[in-house]
Amino acid sequence: MRPDTILAFDTSAAHCAAALLSGEQIVAARLEPMEKGQAERLMLLLQDLLAGAGLGWGDLTALAVGTGPGNFTGIRISVAAARGLALGLGIPALGVTRLEALAHGLPRPLLVAEDARRGAIYVQGFGQEPRKPCLLTVDEAATLPPGAVTGSGAALLNRKALDPMPLAEAIAHVAAARLGDSPGADLPRPAPFYLRGADAAPPSDPPPVILDTVT
Amino acid sequence: MDGTLVFLGIESSCDDTAAAVVRDAPGGAEILSSVVEGQVALHAPFGGVVPEIAARAHAERIDHCIEAALAEAGLGLDALDGIAVTAGPGLIGGVLSGVMCAKGLAAATGLPLVGVNHLAGHALTPRLTDGLTYPYLMLLVSGGHCQFLTVSGPEDFTRLGGSIDDAPGEAFDKVAKLLGLPQPGGPAVEAEAMTGDPRRFALPRPLLDRPGCDLSFSGLKTAVLRARDGLLAAQGGLFRQDRADLCAGFQAAVTDVLAEKTRRALDLSAVPALAVAGGVAANSTIRAALERVCAERGVRFTAPPLRLCTDNAAMIAYAGIARFRADGRDGMDLSARPRWPLDSRSPALIGSGKKGAKA
Repeated sequence: MRPDTILAFDTSAAHCAAALLSGEQIVAARLEPMEKGQAERLMLLLQDLLAGAGLGWGDLTALAVGTGPGNFTGIRISVAAARGLALGLGIPALGVTRLEALAHGLPRPLLVAEDARRGAIYVQGFGQEPRKPCLLTVDEAATLPPGAVTGSGAALLNRKALDPMPLAEAIAHVAAARLGDSPGADLPRPAPFYLRGADAAPPSDPPPVILDTVT
Repeated sequence: MDGTLVFLGIESSCDDTAAAVVRDAPGGAEILSSVVEGQVALHAPFGGVVPEIAARAHAERIDHCIEAALAEAGLGLDALDGIAVTAGPGLIGGVLSGVMCAKGLAAATGLPLVGVNHLAGHALTPRLTDGLTYPYLMLLVSGGHCQFLTVSGPEDFTRLGGSIDDAPGEAFDKVAKLLGLPQPGGPAVEAEAMTGDPRRFALPRPLLDRPGCDLSFSGLKTAVLRARDGLLAAQGGLFRQDRADLCAGFQAAVTDVLAEKTRRALDLSAVPALAVAGGVAANSTIRAALERVCAERGVRFTAPPLRLCTDNAAMIAYAGIARFRADGRDGMDLSARPRWPLDSRSPALIGSGKKGAKA
């Protein structure tokens, strides 16, 4: 049997990242830093990556996509592309959070802390099982117990970060493990993992009182 | 590019997620399916469409809508000749979600990808629904747009004028909000106006004193706010009759402005037919006034059925086919554009700053 071939990609931050996993082996990977233009670049980068490995879209067994947290628009660029590809290819697409990906391959227990800007940090603890991810202020996160940390938020906490695996490669590995755990299962479609609200406030101007409303 | 073509259309530029399948044959075009999933309930607490909330919904609904449209048409992806997607203008987060999903689908299937201007979708709909021939005058009046266009070909549009500020649909929504009526404001204000006296409040008819076809609705909305605030100060609230009268006065002002500007646009363009599209075209008072103007001028009046007048993906599939037949297609670098005027020759209406014209 041919090994599973998984194409992983992520645009949740200022980059286009992609990796191709065949069996247990990363056979190709790209990381292109960019502040904007991910929507125009992503598909071309993926096509290049596949062509460089001598593969076409039809050779893939699954897709893996970074679901954030991170830049809202960036997350949607990849998630929407993954859903379109999955529908067109008839293969599963798996969503992997940035926090799961960062934790991949590192010793446990582990705290993943990612800079969420605006004085906040996305955190998730990984023991035997992953804990619930959450958004904390830097001050709240500073009270977390000592131990191994990874992610860009470590610096905000004055803690030394373990080096994580490159993001797209880790996303591919996490997806491969999940596929291996539940072969043939009907996996949920990838959904953005924002971990932060949409920042919409209800109108400040209250509606007028209606004086003769029938009650 | 003769012969029969079957296209999937994808639309996500505002608060409707939509997918449709259209077949265009030498004998005419046929809508094989049209799925529209609205988001009214998601935005209701905020008194208007919240772009981030809309984008979040689109990203998780588009592929489902596409599957539903294919199932309704009884076709698989292998029966398609191309994929058309709204690439702008609109709320960029939603447009991007649609464009990226379309790119994924096109890459996976090898089908051609055609980016469509949302406004072209509206502007070409009368050909799909009423078999209009070029040229004709289009009045597009919706929550996000308001313009007069002479449509002379699938990619040949001349803008005669448009709103320099709010779109009328937006003004209906804001007036509904000011008066404590539910969203979307169009139907709510229209229903209230039925029992109101349009002459009780003297509201302005903006820009009627100026030549040309440009319109403005922002000041009218402010005039409604002032009238409301006057009543609130005098009596501590609104009686239901006050509300009905304000709605009737506002609707009458919008109607007068649209009718007079349509008269001028017909004089300028000298075409045999007028088509209206957009949600505001569903307002029966406005529609009746436009029909009267057309009757005066001996011009044919058409308005697509409401489901094809408001945002939908059948119009995108149809406009995509028209573009494809004229050799239009896009690569995987297709951009989503928040601003994309249909007519780039006429001077910009709004948003003429460094980011360029909006529409």
